[in-house]
Amino acid sequence: MNDPMMVEVKDLHFARGSTEVFRGVDLQIPLGKITAIMGPSGTGKTTLLKLIGGQLTPDRGQVLIGGQDVHKLPRRALFKLRRRMGMLFQSGALFSDLDVFENVAFPLRVHTELPNAMIRDIVLMKLQAVGLRGARHLMPSELSGGMARRVALARAVALDPDLVLYDEPFVGQDPISMGVLVQLIKKVNQALGLTAIVVSHDIKETLSIADYVYIIADGKVMSHGTPRTLDVDEDAHTRQFVHGEPDGPVPFHYPAPDFYDDILAPAGQFS
Amino acid sequence: MIDRIAALGRGTLDVLMAIGRAGLFLVQSVFCLPSREGFYLWVRQMHFVGVMSVAIVLVSGLFIGMVLALQGYTILVGFGADEALGQMVALSLVRELAPVVAALLFAGRAGSALTAEIGLMKATEQLTSMEMIGVDPLRRIVAPRLWAGFVSLPILTVIFAVVGIWGGHLVGVDWLGVYDGSYWSNMQDSVDFVGDVLNGMVKSLVFGLVVTWIAVFQGYDLVPTSEGISRATTRTVVYASLAVLGLDFVLTALMFGDFG
Repeated sequence: MNDPMMVEVKDLHFARGSTEVFRGVDLQIPLGKITAIMGPSGTGKTTLLKLIGGQLTPDRGQVLIGGQDVHKLPRRALFKLRRRMGMLFQSGALFSDLDVFENVAFPLRVHTELPNAMIRDIVLMKLQAVGLRGARHLMPSELSGGMARRVALARAVALDPDLVLYDEPFVGQDPISMGVLVQLIKKVNQALGLTAIVVSHDIKETLSIADYVYIIADGKVMSHGTPRTLDVDEDAHTRQFVHGEPDGPVPFHYPAPDFYDDILAPAGQFS
Repeated sequence: MIDRIAALGRGTLDVLMAIGRAGLFLVQSVFCLPSREGFYLWVRQMHFVGVMSVAIVLVSGLFIGMVLALQGYTILVGFGADEALGQMVALSLVRELAPVVAALLFAGRAGSALTAEIGLMKATEQLTSMEMIGVDPLRRIVAPRLWAGFVSLPILTVIFAVVGIWGGHLVGVDWLGVYDGSYWSNMQDSVDFVGDVLNGMVKSLVFGLVVTWIAVFQGYDLVPTSEGISRATTRTVVYASLAVLGLDFVLTALMFGDFG
């Protein structure tokens, strides 16, 4: 890990109400690589992306992007920094009042002074890359979930950003769209040389494209390494997660009283 | 007991924090620099917020003017003062009914729609994705809507008053037989431009700002779930209506309450 760091997360603490989501997370995301952040549902992976993107403010710790502390930047400077970032949302988050073409053109229209003809060429190139050039006139409500996410990917890379954040890109996709997305993320990363952070719990797909993986559980980084080293890791948490074992350090059951007592509880004492 | 005091304290803090957030939100949105694109977005919102509310304002204004004339006539005719009908209809509308009823209708028609629209954008992460693209949603989504509401309610109020006076004429003059000349001339003599018309416009400007502010803030600040959206929409209508009625009293007291 001697590459120059694009994103550094240092001693990150964050709580929602009385629930501690992160208790000292340290991450180093190298330039031009795909780094995966994985962990069971509810460990705050999306929250971590929002902290990196500056939408949430940590209770303690820092997020540095290209050396700049995201949470110390004034609002205007933060928005300027975000122009160099793209984010693919779990839901796609396309603007429902704009068609596919205008959704992809949106970042270009607001951040560049390019003439319409050039914007059209760029948008068509991005849509061609995700295979939806023919769907340019459709509205977001007319797209399937997989198509919406591909349009969102085209929009996320419309400005050729330096950093792309992927929030659960594979969730709820059929095998074909899933394969397409895996290929696209890899291709986009190689073609544009951008740094990617993929947050996911789809192990097989994520490990197939990631250069480096962090596994988060209980508000901390449980383990990290290349996909190959994680596969043979003996740590109980890592093994349970990577091999999909139902019970282990992460319990299958939500904390509950003894099952036997619960079933046989006398009437009137039901809780 | 201690729990109750703690809950009261927490509740008060929540309310104060919400007011603080709403205040910051207003300042950040209202003072966005106008741009050519901002003007285009504002015109679009004027259509959705203002033009689309014209129909309901026309119909309500007409009926309220008609009812005013009918009720006013039955009382005034007893004193042989039915010529003062024009004056009564115009003053009631210009000073009170047009600003207040138009604002209440506006809160129900445009306010709830604004809250639901912005809330849905929040729930589907459109606001977040806009932030991540580096576009400030306060500038692009909130400011045009806020300004559209601020500008369109006074115009709707004028339309309401004009149609109401015409409705009063329809019932008073055309139906009940009040003399046409006295309907208009009494109105002309008694309605003062600064004291009545301008004061009514000041009211509707204040209502426009407050109703739209409540509507967009409720949308922006809601819990992004379907239940959150429905609650926030209800809150918009309730808070905005109460604010309009309360402020109406305060403004009326300030404008017309000088009896000394």
